[in-house]
Amino acid sequence: MNKNINKVRNIGISAHIDSGKTTLTERILFYTNRIHAIHDVKGKDGVGATMDSMELERERGITIASAATSCGWKGHEINIIDTPGHVDFTVEVERSLRVLDSAILVLCSVGGVQSQSITVDQQMKRYKVPCIAFINKCDRSGANPERVIKQLKAKLGHNAVAMQIPIGLENNFEGVIDLVSMKAIYFEGENGEAIRVSEIPGDLVADAKTGRDKLIDSASMCSDRLTEVILEDGEITESLLLEALRTGTLKREITPVFLGSAYKNKGIQPLLDGVTALLPNPTEVINMALDMDQDEKPVVLESRPDKSAVALAFKLEDGPYGQLTYIRVYQGTIERGATVINTRTGKKIKIGRVIRMHADQMEDIEEISAGYIGALFGVDCASGDTFVSPGTNISMTSMYIPEPVISLAITPKDNKAQINMSKALNRFIKEDPTFKSHVDEETNETIIEGMGELHLEIYIERMKREYNAEVSAGKPKVAYRETITRRADFNYTHKKQTGGSGQYGRVAGFLEPLSEGVFEFVNDIRGGVIPTQYIPACEKGFKECLKKGPKMEFPVTGIKVTINDGQFHSVDSSDMAFQAAARGAFKEAYFKANPVIHEPIMKVVVETPTEFQGAVMGILNQRRGIIVGSQDEGIMCAIEAQVPLAEMFGYSTVLRSSTQGQAQFTMEFLQYRQIPQSIADELAAEAAKKKRSAA
Amino acid sequence: MRTQDLILGNPFYTGGSDVNEIVPEGGFGAVLSRAGVGKTAFVVQLALNSMLRGKNVLHISLGDSIEKVSLWYHEQFQRLSGECSIEERPKLWEEILPHRFIMTFKISKFNVPVLEERLTDLTAQNIFHPSIIIIDGFSFDNPEKQEFSELKALACKYKLQLWFTVHTHPDETIENSSGRLLQVLELFDVALELKPHGAEVHIIALKNPGLRAIDTKLRLDPSTMLIKNFE
Repeated sequence: MNKNINKVRNIGISAHIDSGKTTLTERILFYTNRIHAIHDVKGKDGVGATMDSMELERERGITIASAATSCGWKGHEINIIDTPGHVDFTVEVERSLRVLDSAILVLCSVGGVQSQSITVDQQMKRYKVPCIAFINKCDRSGANPERVIKQLKAKLGHNAVAMQIPIGLENNFEGVIDLVSMKAIYFEGENGEAIRVSEIPGDLVADAKTGRDKLIDSASMCSDRLTEVILEDGEITESLLLEALRTGTLKREITPVFLGSAYKNKGIQPLLDGVTALLPNPTEVINMALDMDQDEKPVVLESRPDKSAVALAFKLEDGPYGQLTYIRVYQGTIERGATVINTRTGKKIKIGRVIRMHADQMEDIEEISAGYIGALFGVDCASGDTFVSPGTNISMTSMYIPEPVISLAITPKDNKAQINMSKALNRFIKEDPTFKSHVDEETNETIIEGMGELHLEIYIERMKREYNAEVSAGKPKVAYRETITRRADFNYTHKKQTGGSGQYGRVAGFLEPLSEGVFEFVNDIRGGVIPTQYIPACEKGFKECLKKGPKMEFPVTGIKVTINDGQFHSVDSSDMAFQAAARGAFKEAYFKANPVIHEPIMKVVVETPTEFQGAVMGILNQRRGIIVGSQDEGIMCAIEAQVPLAEMFGYSTVLRSSTQGQAQFTMEFLQYRQIPQSIADELAAEAAKKKRSAA
Repeated sequence: MRTQDLILGNPFYTGGSDVNEIVPEGGFGAVLSRAGVGKTAFVVQLALNSMLRGKNVLHISLGDSIEKVSLWYHEQFQRLSGECSIEERPKLWEEILPHRFIMTFKISKFNVPVLEERLTDLTAQNIFHPSIIIIDGFSFDNPEKQEFSELKALACKYKLQLWFTVHTHPDETIENSSGRLLQVLELFDVALELKPHGAEVHIIALKNPGLRAIDTKLRLDPSTMLIKNFE
């Protein structure tokens, strides 16, 4: 482990699916001597890329879970988190960006800026992560790095500057010209490991000069020193130019662009030079936490190993040796044998094994210092928990976790599957905060919720493969509610005389709407007309009615019950009799109180390129959405709407197809609101049909 | 008739005429004051008043987020309906909400062609047909005739009333503004100035003599930011 914090880089590699980021990571590991052979992502040789450690990932050729690894390059330590590419797994990307200091944005030289590149870029912006871009696949037919740079500027609003120009393209892609050193770089040897630096080919000198001028021009915007040298016609040294570019990159004012072909082993080493020269070390990034003792006052953490420890658990994995917790240490040091506190639970944790991960292999270490990423064994915690030294009460700012957008019911095939499914769900929930599960009290079905259909599909698949739990998935349901809209009186007598001791109880009072809360019971009985001992039974009777509303059998909320009169019988009254009387009273008054159905309304925010604004608003409008407004931010705009959850199923697919996959949306619960009469009629018809078929 | 109660209880509705009816279709109205006096509060109440009467309001904010603008509306509505002791406020809020559409732009990105494009998006798909547009945060430092002519054409085409907030500089008056405010006033059918006066904010009609009458009646209460009739 490199002890010099200035020589540490924590980077993420983010991109659109199939841009080749796993291949790029594989090559980085190879050139930094972390692995000694190169394997394909799709696993033609049966081994698969090193970072794709899960069986499913190897089979599908995609990276699902991010795996952390570290490697060394020219005296620097580079900690890499390989992030997933599919939009349904963005929580992985979000978490990676939260703990990393910078990133490489991988773009395909043919596909250019694709939908996921936009999503990833938004996330980088959210966490102010500086980045450099790598235009991959320059050997592919149709490769056009210049067009991609233009798209970076136009579609993502980056001030993208080429650090290199290609020597040939497509089949003729041979190497790159470094515009800082003004040298041609070729990648030779069996795996491109032998670098040959030579003079720029004659036919490219003019292009290189133009490129360098543009590079200097952009860099000068970020450095007064460089501007002075230019004005004084002085010599622009490599270090001066790199320093200016670094300043711009750190402020996210410049995005340096590198070129190459990971698959053909070209351009990786200069990219690594770029990572070490242009991206920040942990001390250059401001990390904030919340002081729990001071009413969550934000505090700045110091990236120093001698301070009290603050670390964030950003990922959990269930490995063959138990739970593995990936952590980023922001301040202090996490040592083997030390005791830390989990801020969320307040529990003490004794640190056992401390390791550094290399894809699915591991290396035991003694400690993880501020600025470093590592993993712990045998720590019971959830994703997003903060570990601190005893005596400190700090929590890392909570990570942005999007709310689940889709849910469906799953049923295990048999008893064995039921047990395994529970185990699997427990694990997945801990690993992935966007994946949730609960048992529906009414139907007794297990409901899983996640970020998209593929997200849930993968988990169902994982249940089967890793936990041998066969489940069948059903259709999702919306949680409707019933409530009343006006006051209604009741006066109900429950009387039964069928031999033996009878049942007698009379309750009178009224129901009225409750603006906040689910249920309120008011006992306004005077003179003991209902003895105190039977009051809880009355309340219980009313409460029981809330589970299934008389109107449509949806749970009843927002109701206040007041009892102010009644009658009892010294022999025939009992708890049971008063419960029955309360149930009868509820039914008697309920329909007089004008019951209505409420549905969950979601706050939906769609981020889309401005050109699709009209289309996006149109779709929201068609889905009974009220568009609150649109926020224009230049290239992108955000549209905020209030849409019934029932109308949101299948929305992601429609949104993707109508925006060429360039829009993304978040959705969160806003409130319950009365459904329109036409929808209520539809629901009633559906319920009646169900009842008929059940009978 | 709770909506009607609110309309009638609205101080804008003094003497049988309503401030936002004084601006004709295709006309411009302006609310002038220095920063922090209550321009946004004023135009939000103007908008709420219209929404209550079923008119659609497009609120354009140059600088604030949708969330902030929404909060303005919600708070002003709560205060307004609280004053009138209206029951079932949430339901009424839900009823008037579809009459409002918020658009926010960065000030540098806002121009007439962009606005027209957005308006077409809304109207062509039958999503929202505004009757009133409020533009909050428009820069009047160097008012350009051309831009206002284009806005005027747009207002006429869509039969809109346009209300602007105009930020005046501290101690700036019509006389000492080197003609800037006069230039602004020229463009408008109605111009109201919010002027702090002790613990109150007076509403002064700078343009449209028909409105002079409200000078003495309406005040902006700085504690609630609500317009009150002090008659």
